[in-house]
Amino acid sequence: MSAQREAAPPLARSPRPPHRLAAGSWAPEVTVAMESAEDWLVESLRLYQDFHAFDLSAATRGLEWIGDKGVFVAGYESLKKNEILHLILPPRLSVKENQGLFPERDFKVCHGGFSDRAVLELKHVPDTRLLVTSGLPGCYLRVWRVAEDSDVIKAISTIAVQDEAGGLWPRLAVFSSAPRVLHGARLSSLQVLDPESGETTYSSGISDSEELSSLQVLDGDTFAFCCASGRLGLVDTRQPWAPLESPGQSPGSGGQRWCAEVRAGGSGPGPCFSSLGADGQLRLLDARDLCHPMSSVQCAVSMPSPSPELLRVTWAPGLDNCLAISGFDGTVQVYDVTSWEGVGSQVEPLFTHRGHIFLEEGEGHAAALVTTHTWHPSKPRTLLSAASDASVHVWDWVDPRAAC
Amino acid sequence: MPEIRVTPLGAGQDVGRSCILVSIAGKNVMLDCGMHMGFNDDRRFPDFSYITQNGRLTDFLDCVIISHFHLDHCGALPYFSEMVGYDGPIYMTHPTQAICPILLEDYRKIAVDKKGEANFFTSQMIKDCMKKVVAVHLHQTVQVDDELEIKAYYAGHVLGAAMFQIKVGSESVVYTGDYNMTPDRHLGAAWIDKCRPNLLITESTYATTIRDSKRCRERDFLKKVHETVERGGKVLIPVFALGRAQELCILLETFWERMNLKVPIYFSTGLTEKANHYYKLFITWTNQKIRKTFVQRNMFEFKHIKAFDRAFADNPGPMVVFATPGMLHAGQSLQIFRKWAGNEKNMVIMPGYCVQGTVGHKILSGQRKLEMEGRQVLEVKMQVEYMSFSAHADAKGIMQLVGQAEPESVLLVHGEAKKMEFLRQKIEQEFRVSCYMPANGETVTLPTSPSIPVGISLGLLKREMAQGLLSEAKKPRLLHGTLIMKDSNFRLVSSEQALKELGLAEHQLRFTCRVHLQDTRKEQEMALRVYSHLKSTLKDHCVQHLPDGSVTVESILIQAAAHSEDPGTKVLLVSWTYQDEELGSFLTALLKKGLPQTPS
Repeated sequence: MSAQREAAPPLARSPRPPHRLAAGSWAPEVTVAMESAEDWLVESLRLYQDFHAFDLSAATRGLEWIGDKGVFVAGYESLKKNEILHLILPPRLSVKENQGLFPERDFKVCHGGFSDRAVLELKHVPDTRLLVTSGLPGCYLRVWRVAEDSDVIKAISTIAVQDEAGGLWPRLAVFSSAPRVLHGARLSSLQVLDPESGETTYSSGISDSEELSSLQVLDGDTFAFCCASGRLGLVDTRQPWAPLESPGQSPGSGGQRWCAEVRAGGSGPGPCFSSLGADGQLRLLDARDLCHPMSSVQCAVSMPSPSPELLRVTWAPGLDNCLAISGFDGTVQVYDVTSWEGVGSQVEPLFTHRGHIFLEEGEGHAAALVTTHTWHPSKPRTLLSAASDASVHVWDWVDPRAAC
Repeated sequence: MPEIRVTPLGAGQDVGRSCILVSIAGKNVMLDCGMHMGFNDDRRFPDFSYITQNGRLTDFLDCVIISHFHLDHCGALPYFSEMVGYDGPIYMTHPTQAICPILLEDYRKIAVDKKGEANFFTSQMIKDCMKKVVAVHLHQTVQVDDELEIKAYYAGHVLGAAMFQIKVGSESVVYTGDYNMTPDRHLGAAWIDKCRPNLLITESTYATTIRDSKRCRERDFLKKVHETVERGGKVLIPVFALGRAQELCILLETFWERMNLKVPIYFSTGLTEKANHYYKLFITWTNQKIRKTFVQRNMFEFKHIKAFDRAFADNPGPMVVFATPGMLHAGQSLQIFRKWAGNEKNMVIMPGYCVQGTVGHKILSGQRKLEMEGRQVLEVKMQVEYMSFSAHADAKGIMQLVGQAEPESVLLVHGEAKKMEFLRQKIEQEFRVSCYMPANGETVTLPTSPSIPVGISLGLLKREMAQGLLSEAKKPRLLHGTLIMKDSNFRLVSSEQALKELGLAEHQLRFTCRVHLQDTRKEQEMALRVYSHLKSTLKDHCVQHLPDGSVTVESILIQAAAHSEDPGTKVLLVSWTYQDEELGSFLTALLKKGLPQTPS
């Protein structure tokens, strides 16, 4: 079966009988929009095993797991009070057997809190009831506690962090071996913090002020970083700063913004970086040789990302050699990297999630942009994705190759 | 007493048994009378002993209101009215009145015939209970007595579901029952006007839920049906006569058309007749689209959906059948189920809650071996799917409704207050309303400030206006007048008019005080000095020196006289009316301090 093309024109429709699905009287433009939505839903019967669509009261840029049954989301509006919510997934997504006997398909709001600033990064500290957030205005970290006997998420401390040039907020990553948070807006401000005591246990101690775009903890002593310029590195916190790293992007590559994620475990002797650029370039690199990418491909995006800060690339925890990208438009694309090699080839996604485009409510707004996505920790083909129109989808895609 | 008291009845925090007592301006109203389906003993009924320990409840309640026909809102009604005892009016909408007795009777049959319960309400009790029902129309103001009035609003959710406004004078409460803010295929969305009640009562579970979109629920249903018929299986969908069945039929019809499917879909005839009958009666309750289709043709003349014949159940090959009753406890749906249960290619889709004791309930609990009559064991190999099509509001929906009605306060039932701090804050901040969350059996008291309209006489109004411009129109202003209360009528008039109307003569009360001052000058000089002193001291008041020698301050008169026995002492007579008490006392105290020593 051929892989799907991205951004296909609306599906061809056979002539419709006068019997419409839309209730009430609608303006013609909206009827057309409704029809594509209905068409897409019919298509979705074979594209997805399961599909849920929710509307939050405000858009989120974070989808952070707590265990495999709950996620945190948070608003990022600049002039309003934003909500941080702990949502519990519908039980049918968590049970292994007898799914059909669970009629509930809704999120439950388990906890909530208020933030007076936009929340741009949100991480749950594993094995604790703590959350760490950062955002604008100001360069700071805020530590929150999720209450046990009530539904409140309460801010317990705010830690100011220095930023020389201003306008950036610290990226966050959490350790699972001990409750520690790695944070930094720039290489020079990289630190590890104990969120409960407020004590800093590590500092990069360098003067290089390059802007960071991704941070990821690999184990108790190692973390990976990706700078906005595309420069990648692996750092051992036990040693003074001497990362294994790639050079920054060569001038010819257009100065685009990059983000990255390292695949934990998986086949191959060393960790594998995937690095995504704002114009759709995707590079795979072996950590032992960050100067020479194993492959570099052009993803099937129709235009460069309008908001490179939203770029996201994630490895599938439950599938070999699959990753997902978002941040270019209203889609999330899943790729199989198994046969990638060389430089410059165009690749087609294994699957494209278009739900945020077709199920968009409301006419006349700017097209929804996917703000973030994440894989379900234990269900191999289930993802969650959020978009700028406050929609959140939970989708379990059907592998198009499985049928052949 | 300017307060409203609300008590959700029953023990425990469980959702599933709605029954709320509201006390407003001396009137007592019971909202819903539901059954808790999870219990088999007295715990399934609300705790009516809260109202009174013994005896009938008629004297303690002014009326009972039932929001819709679901058993968790009306299931305890016959028990309440016939076994505990209540003879007053029970209000509900027309469709609810028509459908309630059917569901109650079904429920009774299951409880008594299937589960062998004793001490359950009888068929006669259901009939007697329904005789007490007064049906209401939407937006119709119903006078329960000369002070209490109620009004029903469209709630969506199920056929006949309503939200109720309860009003006494200027105080009002709105109870939402179950409602839905997004229209579905056969019902519209809830709607209420900006009635600004003192209190809006709704379910806390709504506020903590974010609902999966209707389209995704429908997609799931279509997917399950499609997959089953594709592999040659049969799909059984047990339905109650109304509402959901139409919704699902429209959905399948559209899908079949789009996909050009040929698999037969059947609808049992009993259903068709009943449904048509009800729809003719209650056509105004469905949404625009259904109304149009109904006018154009018979409800059930679908292109792909045909009337069922029991013989078809034995036909080979795939098919979809809608049959009653909805809980698989008897009749056609159970018959078909028995025929199809043994084949794993088949599927049964249960679209709603099933009462304990029914086959529906058993299979939804995961039971795969069922004991039927005559000790026969039925092995259930067919797929069992439980889907919920009930349309409920969610967090967003609550906010929309609060935005429409603009209540002063919101009360959420079936939640635990100390666990819902965030939720309360969210509602309070977003709408600047107070939010209450009582536990079952706990009473919440809301202070209200009732507004009492008072008519003001034209004469008084004119006089007030003459005294000063009403420059700031919306600011409160202090008036002096007389309040006349007659026959629940309040009027504010001037004192003179009041006296005239009441036929009373006006009396004046005048005080005179003597102030002794040591002064050898003559009285006239004394008076002049008093005048100068007061004139310079009391700049805000009108001080005058009259030709006869006396001094006036506003309407207070001061006269100087010589002491009869001691020429060195002068006596000032200060005289004022009762109305000028304050100024009079002040003047007296001032004069007692003596006059300043000025050179003459």
